[in-house]
Amino acid sequence: MTVASPAAGTEDTGGRPVVPGGWLGWVTSTDHKRIGLLTIGTSLVIFLLMGVLALLMRSQLAQPDLHVVDPATFSQLFTIHGSGMIYMVLTPFAVGMGTYLVPLQIGAPGIAAPRLTLLGYWLYVLGAVLMLSGFATPQGAHAGGWFSYPPLADKVHSPGLGSDLWIAGVLLATTGVIIMGWTVLWTVLRRRARGMTMLRLPVFCWSMIASCLMVIGAFPALLAALALLAVGRADASVFTSNTWNIGYQHLFWFYGHPVVYVMFFPYLAAVAEVLAVFSGRRFFGYKGTALSLLVFAALSMSVWGHHMFATGQATNDYYSLTSIALLVPAGVEYFGMIGTILGGRIRLRTPMLFALAFIPQFLIGGLTGIMVGTPVIDYHVTDSYFVVAHLHYVLFAGSAFGLFAAVYYWTPKVTGAMLSERLGRLHFWLLVVGTNLTFLPMFALGYQGMPRRVATYASFDGFAWLNLLASIGAGFLAVGIGVFVVNVLWTLRKVALGRSGNAGDDPWQAHTLEWATSSPPPRFNFAADRSLPPITSFAPLLDLRERRASGAAVGAEQEGASGS
Amino acid sequence: MIQRRVFGTVFTLESAVAAFVFLVVLALVCHAVVRRRAGRQPTPSDRPQRPVLEKYYVGVLAAFAAFLVAWTAWQNHEEHRPPNRTPVRVDVMGFQWCWKFGYPQSPAKVSVTGTCRGKDLPTLVVPTGRPVELRLTSNDVIHSLWVPDLRYKMDAFPDHVNTFTLTLDHEGRWRGRCAEFCGERHYAMDFWIKAVSPEEYDRYLHGQPIGTGTGTAT
Ligand code: HEM
Ligand SMILES: [Cu+2]
Repeated sequence: MTVASPAAGTEDTGGRPVVPGGWLGWVTSTDHKRIGLLTIGTSLVIFLLMGVLALLMRSQLAQPDLHVVDPATFSQLFTIHGSGMIYMVLTPFAVGMGTYLVPLQIGAPGIAAPRLTLLGYWLYVLGAVLMLSGFATPQGAHAGGWFSYPPLADKVHSPGLGSDLWIAGVLLATTGVIIMGWTVLWTVLRRRARGMTMLRLPVFCWSMIASCLMVIGAFPALLAALALLAVGRADASVFTSNTWNIGYQHLFWFYGHPVVYVMFFPYLAAVAEVLAVFSGRRFFGYKGTALSLLVFAALSMSVWGHHMFATGQATNDYYSLTSIALLVPAGVEYFGMIGTILGGRIRLRTPMLFALAFIPQFLIGGLTGIMVGTPVIDYHVTDSYFVVAHLHYVLFAGSAFGLFAAVYYWTPKVTGAMLSERLGRLHFWLLVVGTNLTFLPMFALGYQGMPRRVATYASFDGFAWLNLLASIGAGFLAVGIGVFVVNVLWTLRKVALGRSGNAGDDPWQAHTLEWATSSPPPRFNFAADRSLPPITSFAPLLDLRERRASGAAVGAEQEGASGS
Repeated sequence: MIQRRVFGTVFTLESAVAAFVFLVVLALVCHAVVRRRAGRQPTPSDRPQRPVLEKYYVGVLAAFAAFLVAWTAWQNHEEHRPPNRTPVRVDVMGFQWCWKFGYPQSPAKVSVTGTCRGKDLPTLVVPTGRPVELRLTSNDVIHSLWVPDLRYKMDAFPDHVNTFTLTLDHEGRWRGRCAEFCGERHYAMDFWIKAVSPEEYDRYLHGQPIGTGTGTAT
């Protein structure tokens, strides 16, 4: 069955003379693939910049009493590193993946409301530029931490222009992400090809549904918190009252916990797709996983107070209950992933390596998450390096590994060329060593009493050698990411020179519809003269292969009859 | 040191469970990678799901979650049971970037502060064996009083007083820190907490200085 391109007349450039291949053609494109790629590309560039800030911090902390930068600058580094990685990298990348992949996976010719999506991207870019431009102001960038509690972040205690730019930047970028979240959700709900029922959606699409629901439901709370901060910066009396100080924390974390799952589900689902494809079987426990994503998303809106156990102003029993309850849907997702590989026929290609490492590494983040969700443990370890270790296991050892799995997996579809497998393996091993060397010692540091966000520490604190290990690990990470960058740039250059050798439509023997079109896909995703395969399940291409195989077997028995 | 004891119990149990779960998952992944490699020509399973097994599994998870919630909440309440004797009261004020400890019940109205620069750290003196109620507040931004050896911290908010009670069972001196980022010198906002005998504490409240000495917690 062929999906026509109903929007063809409205989605082209309307006859205006814009060269599609030129830069103007890119930045004004209403093609969801281009908007998705712009978002992904932008966030990868910011990812590298934020990584450089992390390296600066790790060099300062490598030994006691080092002063590579002064304490004020150090505070800017962790603030912008954390804010950048969350607001401008992992969240937009996740939504960017959705923008690129969701229409393809559901057999649609485009995204709903492409111009709005483009607007969302531009708001995001503008926000990122504003936040980073704080470094160019006299007092430097914002230095209040990524959650910027008042009264520290008010005008009295953070007078710099950098703080205003931070508020404006985060506000714009988040608005952009909310808009993109809406269009992705609308697409997956309303633009599905005939036969693509909800229970035939790929796992990745389900993850985008859950994520976008959280974007829509929780992200506005961040806008409210930022507005409150802006008001408090205009009127200093606001944050002399405890009500508004603690109120800000509630607003912020109402956003702040769901955002963690927006930075998790799409990567988890990318991992799930990779695990299934490289296990040569359909994803195990599909229904349970889809349901658990929705339960997870709903619960995520009720756990925010676990960030406030030590404030003495939250209902700790209640938030502990909802937080610990999260282990049930998380356990269901692990059931699906483990079940998939246990019954698989595993090909250890680069995307699969990252996906496999995701499983135990993210688990460390999840298990320590249950610990910090337990008030009596959290009293000790909150605001210490234990939390720094926990959050980096979730976001780096987990989500970023999923991100790399996704990049290696979908690059042949996006560019038509494969990334180098050898460099990919090198990247992988450097990253595994670096990640665990960097972040594992931090659990011990926090346990021993090292607070987070300290610019330096004294030699008698006894934190020296664990910090040195962590900084050596950061060196491995830097080299590993360097290898990745070389790999990507090299491949892109080969594509530009036309020397890449085409990867083919479906180099991995994948399951979902994006692999049923050419690489890269045409403007409206599925060429009119090529019919979509019948959508018989959430793995239509696997079904097709199975049918062909059995058909071929039957055919062989009937001597010579063709199976197709 | 009820906080330290409760932390120790719960942390040990959760770490043991976490380690067990981690090892099981790691073993399953390794098993899959070794046994199900394409090179060994295994046939991929075509079983899309195992709903019955999954139901039991969810039941076990939910039961464990329920146990954990109830048990840790109970431990939390143990930790915060009101003391059976009237506590000694100390007023703690965090400010950018050091601490002030006031003893409102002392005849000499003792109050201690410092600059938190170099060796000039203020000392919070408390008696052993008696509950001490700390009343925490701040006069600028949010700080957090953390005594790592006690395994406990609590935030100090401006325009708000938080209280918690601790009982130190033996003499000694421990490091305390600020745990909530509070600006440029947050990293240096340390103090000492020193437990002395009730007699020495009494003399201290009358304005006599105390001897120095260090100790380790048990
Ligand atoms: C996807 C990747 C990453 C994400 C999402 C991320 C996120 C964060 C966040 C949210 C913070 C807290 C900022 C704050 O306290 O306001 C942080 C701090 C930090 N991160 Fe990362 N990070 C990532 C990668 C890395 C890497 C690769 C390194 C090491 C090379 C690193 C080193 C640090 C350091 C040293 C701090 C400061 C900790 C402190 O002073 O409390 N991060 N990161
Ligand atoms: Cu402080």
